[in-house]
Amino acid sequence: MKARAARQSAARPAHGLGSAVWLQGLACGAVVALATPTAVLSGLLLAPGIGALLLERRAGRPAARVTLLCGVAAAAAPLTALWQAGLGVGGAMAAASEPAVLAGCWAAQAAGWLLAQLAPVLLRLAFDLHAAAIAARLRTERARYETEWGIPPATGP
Amino acid sequence: MAAISSPDDAQNLIAGTYGVDVARPLPGAGGGLAAFAVTDRSAGRSGLMAVQSAPGAPPRAMALNALAGWTDDGLLVPLAHGPGHGARGEAAWFVVSAAPPGPSLAAALRPWSEPELLEFVLRPAAAVLVALDRQRVTHRAIRIDNIFRAGMAAPVVLGTAWSAPPAQYQPALFEPPYSAMCLPSGRGDGTIADDVYALGVTLVVLALGRLPLEGLDPVAILRRKLALGSYVALVGDERLPPAIGDLVRGMLAEDPDHRPPPVLLADPAAARARRVAARPPRRGQRPLELSGDRVWDVRTLAHAVATDPDEGGRLLRSGTVDRWLRRNLGDPIMATRLEEVTRLHDIDGLADTVRADGLMAMRAVAVLDPLAPLCWRGVALWPDGLGPALVSADAMGGEAGDLLAERLGDMVASEAAGHWAAMRPERSDPVALRLAARQRRVMVHLRGWGGGLARLRYALNPLLACGSPIVAGRTVARLQDLLAALEAAATRPELRRGQPVDREIAAFIAARNDQRFEAELVGMADAASPEQAVLMQLRILAGLQRRVDGRPLPGLAGWLAEQAAPSLAGWRNRPRREALERALGEVARSGQLTPMVGLLDNAAARAADTRGFHAAGAAVQRIDAELTALAGGAPVRAEAARRIGHEAALGIAMMAVTVAVVAAVLA
Repeated sequence: MKARAARQSAARPAHGLGSAVWLQGLACGAVVALATPTAVLSGLLLAPGIGALLLERRAGRPAARVTLLCGVAAAAAPLTALWQAGLGVGGAMAAASEPAVLAGCWAAQAAGWLLAQLAPVLLRLAFDLHAAAIAARLRTERARYETEWGIPPATGP
Repeated sequence: MAAISSPDDAQNLIAGTYGVDVARPLPGAGGGLAAFAVTDRSAGRSGLMAVQSAPGAPPRAMALNALAGWTDDGLLVPLAHGPGHGARGEAAWFVVSAAPPGPSLAAALRPWSEPELLEFVLRPAAAVLVALDRQRVTHRAIRIDNIFRAGMAAPVVLGTAWSAPPAQYQPALFEPPYSAMCLPSGRGDGTIADDVYALGVTLVVLALGRLPLEGLDPVAILRRKLALGSYVALVGDERLPPAIGDLVRGMLAEDPDHRPPPVLLADPAAARARRVAARPPRRGQRPLELSGDRVWDVRTLAHAVATDPDEGGRLLRSGTVDRWLRRNLGDPIMATRLEEVTRLHDIDGLADTVRADGLMAMRAVAVLDPLAPLCWRGVALWPDGLGPALVSADAMGGEAGDLLAERLGDMVASEAAGHWAAMRPERSDPVALRLAARQRRVMVHLRGWGGGLARLRYALNPLLACGSPIVAGRTVARLQDLLAALEAAATRPELRRGQPVDREIAAFIAARNDQRFEAELVGMADAASPEQAVLMQLRILAGLQRRVDGRPLPGLAGWLAEQAAPSLAGWRNRPRREALERALGEVARSGQLTPMVGLLDNAAARAADTRGFHAAGAAVQRIDAELTALAGGAPVRAEAARRIGHEAALGIAMMAVTVAVVAAVLA
């Protein structure tokens, strides 16, 4: 029961964030209405990140944020080119349809997602290796005391 | 000059000079003890003998010391003494002296004429007694089978009397009644007057040409002497030469103070003229029944109370003795003094009734007959005979020996000698005896292995060999002999299972070492473990080794190292312990005990070891806590990795965005 309640609470936005979501939606709507080509290109290039943002349930959506940021980094160049060329929705669609641009953006987002997934794992591995090294040093030290002073070996695990 | 020797097993040498030939016994020469021919290996003197002490009868150390350098004739004086081995290989103490010049007077007993007695017996014997008295030594073995003569016209020579406690082998006939009633071993050195008495009996025997009272047992002889007086009991109606009769009458006086001194005896005419009025004991109108015997006078009453103190005490408490003294003997003064004794019994208020009754009977005997010895619960002895009496009780063994030892121990614990002397101050030195009694009681009550009757036994008998089974087969009478004997004992595997110092050896060391090791001896008894006791023993033996000659004792050192090895387990630091074990083995092989003490008895190092152990324990506890924390820290690490990983990834992504935006703007 407790676990389910925790999950539901994590899935539901907090009451204080409700207005922020509306504001974000309003901002997005304004961007779509006022800068439609940019919104289209951004939407297409950042689709994996936006999807991750919508799908991730973890608090703070760390993987989605990293994914989205990596996508933004990859999309910066096409968007700049779009703004400088002054293209409309068709130009945005054309830019988005370039495989290199789209694949690069999406690959960057995939790399970001992968980075967000691997970083904790690698860090934990590093932490565990460090702890194991300390434990080994302590056990060596203990064994020396056992040998020198006749102290009985540890009985625990 | 009398000298003490060390044992020499190979040659049985005494003082390194006198070789005892145990294959050549000299029957009848030792005054009741075994005697053997001796060869003087340095000067080549002949005509020497060695008298072997019997077990349980130590030699007279004081007399041997006092007679060192004696040069007068007429006595078989000690030349040397020391340990050796008897005919059966048994360990024994030997006293070397000149051999008798001829057969003893008992060999061909015949009536002697008055001139013969005066010229060849009395004068030479009196001269010897004068010289002995000058040295404050008594002979206490003057009897016809211990007096020798070279030929018909030669003066007599007194035999040896140094290899056994004073008068231990004297028959009741030759002893004053107050000595004859004592334990044979407890007769004490006595006074020269006792020798005068024995010489008087000898004169009677020689004058008569036979032993008087022959066929009577010692108790009957004693009772006859007490009842009739010694002179009447011995001479009776026999006719003695007039001069001898007069002399002997004085010499056999019951009161030692009434006997002529040896100086006077050297001049028989003067001695004969000395008359002492000795009144016979007052006889009662009717006898007093005590233990089935009829008592007619106070002297026999005192003897009866001494012999049966329980019955005597009952009669004293019931007032029967008091009534008999007043109504039948007409001696109210004596009765009043006895009343005082029973009153003291009530004042003492001892919880131990046996001891209280013993005290009362002893005081009663002292009041009834001030000449009597100390009579304690059926045991009679003179206070200076306590040492040999303790030895005889120990040697006697069995139930009788235990009973005697118990009574002697009780006597010492009660300071009976002091109380006894207080009852007869005119005949002894109460202050000195009380002091000695107190010292003996303190010695017996000393805590630990350095106290008890065993210590008193060794303290009162300077030449008593140590009775420990560990040194069995060797005569260990001095500390330097002890180390050699222990070194020899170290070769016997069955002994090495135990510790090298037992109670007997501890008491022996305590008695011979002037309280130098009191703390260790107490510590041995209080030791919490055998290893601690061994450490105490090691300290003692190391001290002895330093004190004696420092000769290496590898066997004993190895024995002690084996016994002390478990104590090394107390060292917690293993490398240090192993180093100590190696060092102990090396030192033990060198045979020096003092370095072993330094290794085993290092309090500072022990304390450091303990401190180190505690520090190690604390460190191990800290390590265990850290390991436990590491083992239980996985979730924390995982959470930290997740959090930091996400932040790092976010940081990288932000950096990428920044770089991309800057690059786009610049482009």
